[in-house]
Order: sequence, then C-alpha cells, then structure tokens
Amino acid sequence: MNILLLTIILLLAVASLMIKKTVPAMISFALMMLLLGLYYMSIDAKLLGLFQIFIYAGGIVVLLLFGITIIGIEFPKAKTRPLAVVNALLVFVILSTIFFRGVDSLSKVIDKPTEDIHLFAHSFSDMVILFALIGTSLLYGTIKMTDALRSKRRKDV
Amino acid sequence: MFEIEMLFAFALFGVGLYGVTSGRDFLRILFSLEMLLNAVIMMLAITAHYLGMTQNITMAYMVIVLATLEAGVGILIFALAHKVSKMVIPDDYTQEVI
Repeated sequence: MNILLLTIILLLAVASLMIKKTVPAMISFALMMLLLGLYYMSIDAKLLGLFQIFIYAGGIVVLLLFGITIIGIEFPKAKTRPLAVVNALLVFVILSTIFFRGVDSLSKVIDKPTEDIHLFAHSFSDMVILFALIGTSLLYGTIKMTDALRSKRRKDV
Repeated sequence: MFEIEMLFAFALFGVGLYGVTSGRDFLRILFSLEMLLNAVIMMLAITAHYLGMTQNITMAYMVIVLATLEAGVGILIFALAHKVSKMVIPDDYTQEVI
C-alpha cells in the first residue's frame, strides 16, 4: 500500500515539473502534498501528516497561487539544461550507495530498547539555536523583500 | 520495506534537484525547493518509524516551519524580480533586482 502511495507521489512530483500548463501543474503539486500527508499518517506520524496537509496542501499552495496571480498565469518556455538529469541521477546514485553501505549499522538501532527521550534538552538544544537563527534571517528577508516591493510600486505610481 | 521507502525519498530528492538545476521558470523552482525539503522530511519520518528515532519527528516540524518561511521569501523575490524585469525565468534576468 505504502509503495503504491509513494509511486503515485513520485509520479505527481515529476508531473508537476513536466506539465506545461500552470494550473494542472499546481493541482498535481497539491495532490502530491496531500498524498505525502496521508503517507505520514500511514506510518504512525499522524500529527506530522496533518501538519503536512494543512501547511503544504493548504498554506503553501495558496501562497504560490497568490504569486501566480501577481505574475500572471502564462509562463514562457524555458531552455532546459540536459546536464541537470545527469546531475540528479548522480546524486540519487551517491545517496543510495552511501545509504546501502551504512544500512547494516542502522539496523542495530532497532534492537535497542526505546529510552526515555527528553527531546529538546538532549537532542535539539544546539539545533534550536541554529534553526532560530535561520528562521530569523528568513523573516528578515521577507520583511526586506516586502519593503523593496512596496518602494518599487510607489516609484511606479 | 525501510530500504525501499528510503529509496523513494532519495528519488524525490533527485526530482527536486533536477527541477532546481534545469533552469525552468520560478514556479517550477519553488516546487522543486519544496520537494527537496519534503524529501528530507520524508527521510526523517521513515527513520522515526522504522528505527525508533522518534526525536526526528520534532526535527521534521522544524523543517516544515523553515520550508514555509522559504516559500514566503521565494515568492517575494520572484514577485520583485518580475516587477523590475518582467521576466519569470531566472536565466533571463539581466539587471539587479534590489
């Protein structure tokens, strides 16, 4: 069941990049996100699945639609780089090779009994600071871009 | 099962990387960036389920938050670039946006 779901997700991902018309591409992207949410629910990460559906299939798709309404629905045909396929395949092969070389050591973790994990205190105390820094810089970027967009618009008027 | 699902996550990462590097329009680039981040979230969720690394789910929530912010910044950058140069393909931009 999961494999079927993942196959459809992958096909929708390819379709959202290959379909030339904007709205069908957007629909396949939204469907992909919805199915990813269902997949997370099927592997016992129900809250993550709900987050995925609400944030991606809801929020980000609406945000992208908003972007399309600003820019217009027609996109000119772009020249694609043939080496990009080789690049993507190479990364896929490298990731798979690294994973299959180390998968035996990963399976040892399964045998260990689950310990009481203090999530933020033990695992993420350093990472939270890093994530907060990245998040703050992205927020700063958003504010700066909005400001720049507004000043450009004012100049045009 | 674990290995096959991880392979699907790697494939999604590959598709996202293809979209970013192939030089398409801004919408496809944003789709691809979201796919890259979703591949990472997928890997975290799969390892949490099959290897019992439940702390990875917390990391996945953080990645989702950053992906949302990244989409917001991306849309604004392209809206601004379109406002300045009336183009939607990054390769065609000839002047500074800001």
